[in-house]
Amino acid sequence: MGNLLEHMGIEKDRVHFSWISSAEATKFVDVVKEISDKVKALGPNKKFVKDYS
Amino acid sequence: MKFITIDKKDWAKGIDKSRGTYQLFGPVTDINGCQIKALDADVQPEMEYTDSVLSAKSVLFPQSEKILVTSLNEADDDHHIMKRADGDYTPRAVIGIRPYDARAIQLVKMNFDTEDYRDPYWCDAYEATTFVGLAINKPGPLDFSTSTGTGPFSEDGLDILLADMDDKFLAKVLTPKGEAYAAACGFNTEADAKESQVLFDVMRKDAEKTISSSVETDKLKDKTILDLYEAPFWDDVAFSCINCGTCTYVCPTCWCFDIQDENKLKASSRFRNWDTCMSPLFTRHATGHNPRGEKTMRVRQRFMHKLKYFLDKYDSGIMCVGCGRCVKSCPVNIDIRQVCETMNNYEKKE
Amino acid sequence: MDTCIQKIREIAGDLLEKGEVERVIGFAEGSIPMATSPVAISTKEDAQKLCFSSTCGLNLANYASKEKGKKIAVVAKGCDSRNLVTHIVENQIDRDNLYIIGVPCPGMVDKFKIAAEMGGEITGFEEAGDTLIVSTVDDKKELNKQDYLRHNCSLCTHKNPVLFDVLVGEEVEEQQLDNAYPDVDAIEALTADGRWKHFEELTQNCIRCYACRNACPLCYCPTCFVDESGPQWVGKGQDKTDVDTFHFLRAFHCAGRCTDCGACVEACPMGINVRDFTRKLNKDAQDMFGWEAGLTIDKRPPLDAYSPDDPNDFIK
Repeated sequence: MGNLLEHMGIEKDRVHFSWISSAEATKFVDVVKEISDKVKALGPNKKFVKDYS
Repeated sequence: MKFITIDKKDWAKGIDKSRGTYQLFGPVTDINGCQIKALDADVQPEMEYTDSVLSAKSVLFPQSEKILVTSLNEADDDHHIMKRADGDYTPRAVIGIRPYDARAIQLVKMNFDTEDYRDPYWCDAYEATTFVGLAINKPGPLDFSTSTGTGPFSEDGLDILLADMDDKFLAKVLTPKGEAYAAACGFNTEADAKESQVLFDVMRKDAEKTISSSVETDKLKDKTILDLYEAPFWDDVAFSCINCGTCTYVCPTCWCFDIQDENKLKASSRFRNWDTCMSPLFTRHATGHNPRGEKTMRVRQRFMHKLKYFLDKYDSGIMCVGCGRCVKSCPVNIDIRQVCETMNNYEKKE
Repeated sequence: MDTCIQKIREIAGDLLEKGEVERVIGFAEGSIPMATSPVAISTKEDAQKLCFSSTCGLNLANYASKEKGKKIAVVAKGCDSRNLVTHIVENQIDRDNLYIIGVPCPGMVDKFKIAAEMGGEITGFEEAGDTLIVSTVDDKKELNKQDYLRHNCSLCTHKNPVLFDVLVGEEVEEQQLDNAYPDVDAIEALTADGRWKHFEELTQNCIRCYACRNACPLCYCPTCFVDESGPQWVGKGQDKTDVDTFHFLRAFHCAGRCTDCGACVEACPMGINVRDFTRKLNKDAQDMFGWEAGLTIDKRPPLDAYSPDDPNDFIK
């Protein structure tokens, strides 16, 4: 799914897949941090967003 | 009734001039073929097109149209009260509409503008619109419009009918709306009415002569609905159907729609979208029961509506103008001309 | 081609006469040039209606799965046979109820491309081997069929049916391709914005008739996600995001299952190449799992199977 989204022009760093056990709190924090840093670097997403106006 | 000659050299300038007062729609070709679209300020209608994939019905009846809006914020006095959405009903003109599409709009009008009910969205758009038709000098092989009560030079539903005469257009101005549009373009070279009418008649006859396709509908009226409804041929007609909505969406006379609400935060909008009787959803009840649950029932409905129910209800012929679009676009080649023939010739075996 | 049509008719007639099948699903001549129509034949006499040509572009596996519980025969090109395999693997068809009349496929023609070449409306279409004789009211041209093959057919490496009970012609030579996905590569070479623009333009005229979905043998869900109303997953109007959501998710549901038969494009009234969505997934299935859909009934598809060496490098 990530590949097809990327193929359609959604930047790869916006979509993340992770496998985290409920016992892996540190991993969860690390992954969330990494994701938010990457998405912040990309700026707001304008693609695949519905305009309700 | 008057005739105007428009030199093709002056055409684009006149069209541009009319943009001051009119929003223009017309045929333009893009990657998927010819479409009838709102024309951007720098785009001219293409007056030499074979046919658009979809009809011109969307000019009055867009595939998705916001009709009502409301606030869901209970702090607002008028929350949850639906109000008509803003619409643009300033004058618009559709340039180069095919005569059969204009006739189709008259058939659709019977549904949207009745003595009891008036659909405000469609009717307001209709009143705002001037229909500038382009006669078809060379009808295509799938055109069977002469046997459906219209034709390549039909004036029904038009404000102006243009005939392409190579270096110029000869325009027959049919209504005050048409006169106003011609004036807005600055087209005012009057032609002799008598001579022009003779020219029109000759061109019409030539064009009609080239039409080789037709349907016979003479016996449909005398059939009883139930005989046709219970006829044994429907399973065969419907076998290949994949129940897509192509035939209904390309059809200039199909008017059915679905209502959908869309909310974002505290704002709610109600839309109407084209719907299709080919889809099982069209008739599925909230209980889950579907009175047209089988494909055959849906295919039968489409043809019965077009060729029998409409005919009986309005006494204005069949609900088909012979444009041939459904014949051309159907992925599995279900041909309304063949179905019409089957229905017209059907005799119930006792 | 004529001998192949004769054989289809003979075999269909025999099967029906002997009562080995209830119906034979095949193609019949259409009412207009370049059109054919799927048909179900149930008597020997009607078998004469069956035809085959380069305009039989739909996929009959789509019809076969709707005849549940009946013994049927299906006329199948290479791609149809692969979708029959997929149906068997996905328990949509019982192999014992299915008789496959395999047709080594000469490739189907691209009707939009021919119409564009001719300019006007097509009034006549004939085939003589690799020559297409096409006419309009004012023109008649002889076209080389190889130049007007559908894009999927031009890249096809499974023209011969992969599963059949009888073949109605000599097997045709399969082509070897250096690169099976030049179109996917071309899109991948664009920037993210360029790719987005490509897909925005691709679907700009989509009318959501769902012909692509309904022509697709893979799309047999009793209720498609776009038709679901409780909950409603996607808006039903012409909003571009909703339109693209439909195409994106439909394609994704075909991942590892699509045979690139081209029925979706064949059915689209607007001529949209919706395969641009599915082809990327086909390429991924090939690259990641070495998988091409519908080649054998003995293997589970990659998204339907667990393997410890699954290339799951996308999971962090």
